[in-house]
Amino acid sequence: MNALLETRELRKSFGGVKAVAGISMAVPEKSIFAVIGPNGAGKSTLMNLLSGTYQPDSGELRFAGRQLAGLPAHQRARLGLARTFQKIRLFKQLSLLDNVLAGFHIRHQVPAWQYLLPGAAFWRDWTRCRQEGLALLEFVGLGELAAQRAGSLAYGQQRMLEIARALATQPKLFMLDEPAAGLNAAEVAFLLQRLRDIRDRGITVVVVEHNMDLVMKVADHVFVMDHGEFLFEGPPKAVQSNPSVIEAYLGGEFESGALA
Amino acid sequence: MSGLAAALRRDVRWPGYLGALVVLLLLPLVLGTPYWRGILIVCAMNVLLAMSLNLVIGYTGQLNLGQSGFFAIGAYVTTVLLKSYGWNFWLACVAAVLASGLVGLLLAAFAARLRGHYLGIASLGFAVIVYQILINWESVTKGVRGIYGIRPPPLAIPGFPDLNFANQAALFYLVAGIALLVYLLLDNLLRSPIGETLRAIREDEISAASLGVNSAKWKAFSFSLSAAIAGLAGCFYPGFVGTLVPDAFNIVESFTMLAMVVVGGMGTMIGPVVGAIVLTFLPELLRGFGDLRLIVYGLALTLVVLFMPGGMVQAWQLLRARFSGGRPQHASGADGVGR
Repeated sequence: MNALLETRELRKSFGGVKAVAGISMAVPEKSIFAVIGPNGAGKSTLMNLLSGTYQPDSGELRFAGRQLAGLPAHQRARLGLARTFQKIRLFKQLSLLDNVLAGFHIRHQVPAWQYLLPGAAFWRDWTRCRQEGLALLEFVGLGELAAQRAGSLAYGQQRMLEIARALATQPKLFMLDEPAAGLNAAEVAFLLQRLRDIRDRGITVVVVEHNMDLVMKVADHVFVMDHGEFLFEGPPKAVQSNPSVIEAYLGGEFESGALA
Repeated sequence: MSGLAAALRRDVRWPGYLGALVVLLLLPLVLGTPYWRGILIVCAMNVLLAMSLNLVIGYTGQLNLGQSGFFAIGAYVTTVLLKSYGWNFWLACVAAVLASGLVGLLLAAFAARLRGHYLGIASLGFAVIVYQILINWESVTKGVRGIYGIRPPPLAIPGFPDLNFANQAALFYLVAGIALLVYLLLDNLLRSPIGETLRAIREDEISAASLGVNSAKWKAFSFSLSAAIAGLAGCFYPGFVGTLVPDAFNIVESFTMLAMVVVGGMGTMIGPVVGAIVLTFLPELLRGFGDLRLIVYGLALTLVVLFMPGGMVQAWQLLRARFSGGRPQHASGADGVGR
């Protein structure tokens, strides 16, 4: 199995706090890779290091064989990385469709002068983006609401819109930061189905999640962090029964032996 | 189906442009006195300035309180090249527009690092610096004494060197025609993916970056284009007034432009145009009340920000919704009229 994304000894500190303290991992191609850990484990920092929102203090970061460290977020998007945010960041004043259209930024193929005087290539691109954009909105269950303002959506719908917008960039690697946070049971079930669909389209999915339950249902591979460090990795079943993982989640109140 | 016919069918805006063209042609005939024609020319320049500022503030979401600096650069570069170096007016114009655009890049360098109020203060500082240079660089700008005897722009027809835009109606047609052309091109640009990109930066830079948007680059584009348009407006100012003094580019002018953008409705194409027209004519109509008219700007700005942040465009949308019996259009938000 080929690793699409690889990190080696990745580190990031904020002042004296080691948010990510030497993480090495390999994300296999066309799978759903989950990163889990209790609050404050450094999951979101890791996500921000992968997407380029932060730059690592040290360590290696390879995507499809290419070194990513030092590359700003917008250039990583061009290489095929896309993400969603833990705290939803939509273009709230814009319509749903306009949110998704912004995701086509790196994919337009129009001669520059046609942005001033639209010609055939401009209108071809215009039509294609709107068709694809609507299809993406339908994919996440928001097709009917395309003309609404994004800020007027319910919380769960906003999460799905962020997914559609990121998919518009046609990523190879799609990273979701706590996509299930704040969703109800029905929305979570829909999300899980969509994550599988995205993987089946050949896109590698990295999910950072707090909720173990959800991860067990959808992940092909689970990577556990605690206090910025590697704790355990393996298939969901193995993670579920691993004593150190259980201890990290329960907060060390019990001896690991007491649970066994 | 021919290409042009297809394009016209797809583009529902052309009746609007045709209407605007007719109104522009009739205006100097309706308002026939030199006084009103002069105001018409000032109004056309204000429309250009308001549109230019709206590009940065309304569409890209960057607070810019220094637009008067670019207007000044346009006016002074044109005039100095014309008077001191004997350049052809139109060539001097091109140089002035380029110079303004380049200086716009400089301000964009600040915008890459500063946000919100900090950028506002930096841009205000920029306008103050330009103003001080105009006053103190006397060997070039003649300082507070000003430059006199500037002639209206000539028509570039070989063999007729005396033909010019001294006729105010002709000068109005020139400036208003340019404003209409700039509106058309800007409208196209902002409906294109470039408009989508600028709006994405306005709404959320971090999200935009995650979609591959290099916001430093696009802010530079926006500032530079905006500065170039303001510089273009500046080209026609000296020839119209006949004299050029630094006080015409006091930083207060920046706030006047800001008031036009906000009162009209920022982030829409038509809003700043309406704002510029209203805030040019309203003070003239109130001239009988003396200095009271100066309060109009402040009052209009305050009332709009308090009660109608979307400006006159938003007021119009609400009115239309009320009288057509439908609900306010949720979907398009502040961008509704611009589409």
